[in-house]
Amino acid sequence: MHHLLPVLVAVPLLGATVLVACGQRLPRVVAETLGCAFAAGTAGLAIVLLLNASPPLTEWVGGWTPVGGESVGIVLVGVGPGLGMAAVASLLTVAALAYSWHYFDDAPRRHAGSFPALMLLFQGGMCGFAIAGDLFDAFVFFELMSVVAYALTGHRVEEAKAVQGALSFGVLNSLGAYAVLMGIGLLYARTGELTLVKIGQGLDRHGGPDALTLTAFALVLTGLLVKAAAVPFHFWLPDAHAVAPTPVCMLLSGVMVELGAYGVWRIYRTVFSGLAVIPASDLERALVVLSVLTAVVGAVMCWYQRHVKRLLAYSTVAHMGLFLIGIGSLSPEADDGVALYILGHAGVKTALFACTGVLLDRYGSVDEHALHGRARRLRGVAVLYVVSTLSLAGLPPFGIGLGKAVLEESVGGPLTVLFVAVSAVTAGAVLRVATRVFFGLGTQPGDGSSYETTGIREEPETRHRLSRVPDTMTAVPAVLLVASLAVGAVPGFAAAVGHAMSGGAAPSLHWTRGRLLLGLTSTLLALGLATLAVTRSKPLGEPSWMAPLRRLQSGHIGDYVAWMLVGTTLLAARALPGILNG
Amino acid sequence: MTRRVRLIVLAVGGTGLAALLVAACFCLPGFGGDRHPYGDRVVRASLARHTANTIASVNFDQRSFDTLGEMSILFASVLGTVVLLRQTRDEHRAEPEPEEVALPVRRYALVVLPVAVLTGLYVIAHGQLSPGGGFQGGVVVATALHLLYLGADYRALERIRPVGTYEAGDALAASAYLVLGLAGAVAGTAVLANFLPYGTFNTLSSGGTVPLLNAAIGMEGACAVVVLLARFPDQAVEIEKGDGR
Repeated sequence: MHHLLPVLVAVPLLGATVLVACGQRLPRVVAETLGCAFAAGTAGLAIVLLLNASPPLTEWVGGWTPVGGESVGIVLVGVGPGLGMAAVASLLTVAALAYSWHYFDDAPRRHAGSFPALMLLFQGGMCGFAIAGDLFDAFVFFELMSVVAYALTGHRVEEAKAVQGALSFGVLNSLGAYAVLMGIGLLYARTGELTLVKIGQGLDRHGGPDALTLTAFALVLTGLLVKAAAVPFHFWLPDAHAVAPTPVCMLLSGVMVELGAYGVWRIYRTVFSGLAVIPASDLERALVVLSVLTAVVGAVMCWYQRHVKRLLAYSTVAHMGLFLIGIGSLSPEADDGVALYILGHAGVKTALFACTGVLLDRYGSVDEHALHGRARRLRGVAVLYVVSTLSLAGLPPFGIGLGKAVLEESVGGPLTVLFVAVSAVTAGAVLRVATRVFFGLGTQPGDGSSYETTGIREEPETRHRLSRVPDTMTAVPAVLLVASLAVGAVPGFAAAVGHAMSGGAAPSLHWTRGRLLLGLTSTLLALGLATLAVTRSKPLGEPSWMAPLRRLQSGHIGDYVAWMLVGTTLLAARALPGILNG
Repeated sequence: MTRRVRLIVLAVGGTGLAALLVAACFCLPGFGGDRHPYGDRVVRASLARHTANTIASVNFDQRSFDTLGEMSILFASVLGTVVLLRQTRDEHRAEPEPEEVALPVRRYALVVLPVAVLTGLYVIAHGQLSPGGGFQGGVVVATALHLLYLGADYRALERIRPVGTYEAGDALAASAYLVLGLAGAVAGTAVLANFLPYGTFNTLSSGGTVPLLNAAIGMEGACAVVVLLARFPDQAVEIEKGDGR
């Protein structure tokens, strides 16, 4: 079975090359069908491997099995979390390809296969990153998924916004990748190894932590946190998500950003967690400030948006903050909670983006104010939207609710309050959009501050404005929503996820009265906030302190880079005390 | 942010990062020591497989999976460029005008062109024996073709450079690498296994699958660079905004 690990990467890449090689002759239907088939095949393979991942699968590519404990080859590791991420990435790729069936207005001339080919390359990159057991190999596939994502984000080149968003995405993430590469260089200089486990052992052998390990830690984490959109590395994400084509947004928010968090989890666990390297308390200290900031900034910015895609993007930032808090707390319960949360979030966030895409292609706008009451006739989409929003808040028995409640219990104290508040505010914001757009409740709000990004005058992505919504565009979000319901509601599924994550170290992964109460609290809070916002706009209007926060998201790439450097310094400074004492 | 604030933020972050890097440099092992744990293992492994150029052995045998990723990055960048620099609805294509070329330039370009192509092919073919290899040789071949642009004109270049064919070539080369890798699983033991006979050390046919993977990368690199170099002047020379004059 372990021989199939590299095939997980090879299949989508092969699909992409076939689509490009024959792309000039293939009619669009054939190209899109082929794309779906390759993506679905990979997804099937990922699931089969996932089901056989205990005991862990290890494959030395090219048959370079270690002799006397040493090898020059690359190792791929198939364990629950990695294969799980690969499976989620693959399933979402299939969903995005199905959603974009006959979608784009002008497929490049004689290049019908290029969009599905790019999606397959993206899938290959994500799978490769998820199963890499070698630090440099992880970097290569990290780069592959980034490069494809830049191109996909800028797909609608006719619009200046798309080019700007893709550019800031590209610059920030490339700088992050350079940081990772420098970190790898330092680790290699110290240990002479590239395999994750071996680097960890080498660092351990060397003894006490010093400036080199601290710098390598800060640099590697910088690159991963740029991808995970933690404050202050997050500025690229709203700019990119607001302009990327909807099927691409689904993948970016649903799984790519989460892979950054997965990278932090995996690389810290295998490389830096040795007794003498970076103590757990240091990681917690370094991560917790950034992730609390991420959650708060994301939630506040999410509430004060009227551009629906930007609003969803900030809600992704806020939820990433919550995932990172869970990862930083380093307990098996928290790990299980984060895994369930990420699974549920992937389904719900993709469904929300898919529904927003319907609005964009039907009405040529994603502006909350301009769309006020216009989508009354889209009843099916309205139901999907509202249900997704409630489950985003943590409504039982959806997967997000269960994962979040497990996480809330394991972090405890003031952080639990933060979790409830952040999920209520983000879900409340989306619910406010839904009530205004689909039901026309409340009065149509006037124009806000001049610095706001409106969502008016957006070009639809489809050939013409849709007069009738195609079935694929509503079926895909419906299926995703059902899947995310199943994560929390199917008995035994959560336990299986817990088993794959932490070997069943955290015993009780099911709904208890306390967890139901936590989920219901945040759902009711979200409902309350949305009602308040729609009926009385005054008390929840934009306060004066929002203006500077909004201005930070300036669109100027220089600003973003400056903040990124500050973030790296901050990470190192937070981890410094433990090293001085150690 | 104003320029002033931005510079202050940048200075704070930059100083912190610089301090970290300087401090880390003092912890690096000394320069030119005799301890090379990875290097020793790599050379041993490459000699065992009759590959004279250790770098080629690392690229196409020991860490050939990384090369698969790198090749896919190049392939994805080319595809991304093709998609992003496409002719959009509000643009149209203008015929390039021929331009007079100074005689010495023309003669020089036409004499050097075959030599440069041959050099590139040599560098690809001897990748497993001497410094060089697929990526490097591919770039030499691709740039050599562009001497025609200097020597003749843009239209002459376009005749020997049907971009569509090179795009397909790029994809075929990439799939050849993948198919060779999968063949390793069928004929040998694992994906990307070196399943061919290793041959005689220091001859063209040594190294098992190394020369084949190397050739696939050579073709991919050459095609990729041709397409990349074609797309940018295309955008500048031929594609114009609006409905034309």
